[in-house]
Amino acid sequence: MTDVSRRDFLKLASRAVLAAAGLLGLGGLFRFLDIQTDPSPQTDFDLGLPAKYPLGSRTILPDVPALLVHSQSGFSALSLVCTHLGCTVENRADGFACPCHGSRFDLQGNVTRGPAGKPLNLLRTGITSDGNLHLYTN
Amino acid sequence: MRRYSLLVTSLAFLLTLLVAGWDQRLRPKPIPLTPTLTGQVEYCLTCHSDLAQISNSHPVQTFGCVLCHGGEALALDANLAHSTMRGGSNPSDFSVVQASCGGANCHSGTPESYNNHIQRATTSIQATYAGAIAIIRYTFGVQPDLTASLGIFSVRAPGSTSGITSLSAFDPFQETNPFVKAFGQNCLTCHLSAQPLPGSVYFRFTGCAACHTPTQSADRSNTQQLQSSQVHKLTTAISYTQCDTCHNRGNYDLRTITFAPRLDLSNDRLHDYYQPIAQFTSCEWMLDCVDCHTRTEAMGDDSLYSSKLDIQYIQCKTCHGTPTELPQPRTLTDPNDLVFRLALLNPVVDLKLGDTILVTQKDEPLWNTRVLPDGTYQLVGKASGQVFPFKPVMGSACTQNGTDQTSAYCHTCHSMTR
Repeated sequence: MTDVSRRDFLKLASRAVLAAAGLLGLGGLFRFLDIQTDPSPQTDFDLGLPAKYPLGSRTILPDVPALLVHSQSGFSALSLVCTHLGCTVENRADGFACPCHGSRFDLQGNVTRGPAGKPLNLLRTGITSDGNLHLYTN
Repeated sequence: MRRYSLLVTSLAFLLTLLVAGWDQRLRPKPIPLTPTLTGQVEYCLTCHSDLAQISNSHPVQTFGCVLCHGGEALALDANLAHSTMRGGSNPSDFSVVQASCGGANCHSGTPESYNNHIQRATTSIQATYAGAIAIIRYTFGVQPDLTASLGIFSVRAPGSTSGITSLSAFDPFQETNPFVKAFGQNCLTCHLSAQPLPGSVYFRFTGCAACHTPTQSADRSNTQQLQSSQVHKLTTAISYTQCDTCHNRGNYDLRTITFAPRLDLSNDRLHDYYQPIAQFTSCEWMLDCVDCHTRTEAMGDDSLYSSKLDIQYIQCKTCHGTPTELPQPRTLTDPNDLVFRLALLNPVVDLKLGDTILVTQKDEPLWNTRVLPDGTYQLVGKASGQVFPFKPVMGSACTQNGTDQTSAYCHTCHSMTR
């Protein structure tokens, strides 16, 4: 076994510690540069094939939140965000009700009871080149 | 020596990085929230995810925290995050309420949309304390009559119908009369901007939260649990115990100009509700204050008054009528009637179009009452949910003259003994 001088040991130890600190520092730097910012709110929702929504259906899409209607005139969508202060309205047999402040809307989204002053927003839908139905909230 | 210094510096650098990494690992993972109303991300839930939602009308997904509380939305350090909060833990304190709770769609709207709450509350007699100030100044000869000109803070009410459209701020240090000065120093403890007196029975917040945040349990049996400064709740189901953080807890002694607390406090509602000197009937202690006293009596009507007697108007006949008159009914035909919103905020009754309720002499709805098909009535306690059936005076054995509605007159026959 070779004897290691004190000087060599110190030199080796210094380099090892320096290398470890450098690697750790670099790791921190990469982590900092690789930080994932919060994604922007989703505005384009891929709803899959239109066949999933048969003619006459009214489908609640809780993630949007919206109501997708398939009628004779095609697909249409109604935002379920209350136009008063932005709470999500609840689906009822005769329309929609806001659980926060009591606004009511009919099945078409028109206000039947305040405090909301505007009807529920209509949302844009479209079929993209891949054949999927998309809903846009912007 | 140079060799050692390189090693020591390297070790120090490595240690610093390890400590920084360890500190990062200990920090909670940030929880982002983007409220629909602001669209701006905030990280308050990183530490406060266990906090109960303040009310059904203020869901956190819609309002977030910062809109009402202020604070640094993106900060993860507690001190920094809280450094710019409005009103400390109480954004409804009147010094900041406009910034916290105001807005045309929130609580500083118009009387027509029933959401001018801030204007009403800050001009109310409970906020201005103008009546007490006027009485004391009049009693000690500082002002010629009982008309209020001073309040706890200066306030304007351009639309006031009482003849008083503004009040200047009452400053006890400007008063020369020693009794009025002492009143200012010892007796300003029960207006809505005053810090409560020390002691659990007086504990409440200031501003809107003085009444709407329950710091007292409804039955006095659970006070320790609710008297935490962390209570995060807004409600219109206000029990008498909350009102009694100011009312019925004692008297202001005019000889010494000090507060003399009640010494007979009890957990028994009958003995706890009113002071021993008070005269009252069963409905006055079985119901909660808010079951009879209306929203404008308690929160004002956008006018400034010199006395609580100018705004309080509920009488026995409001619900019971007189020998010749039934109480005033209203059949609900308008879906936009205020009653539906009030019943939604505190769903102790399921009101529907076509239901008939009672209204006051000023046409304020008593939305927790119902006229029953047999001509009798029922009231549902706003805080208790308890159903109280009651009958009109008309057709009963009551021999009242029909015009005198003073407390002493009705209590001649209807008085509770305890």
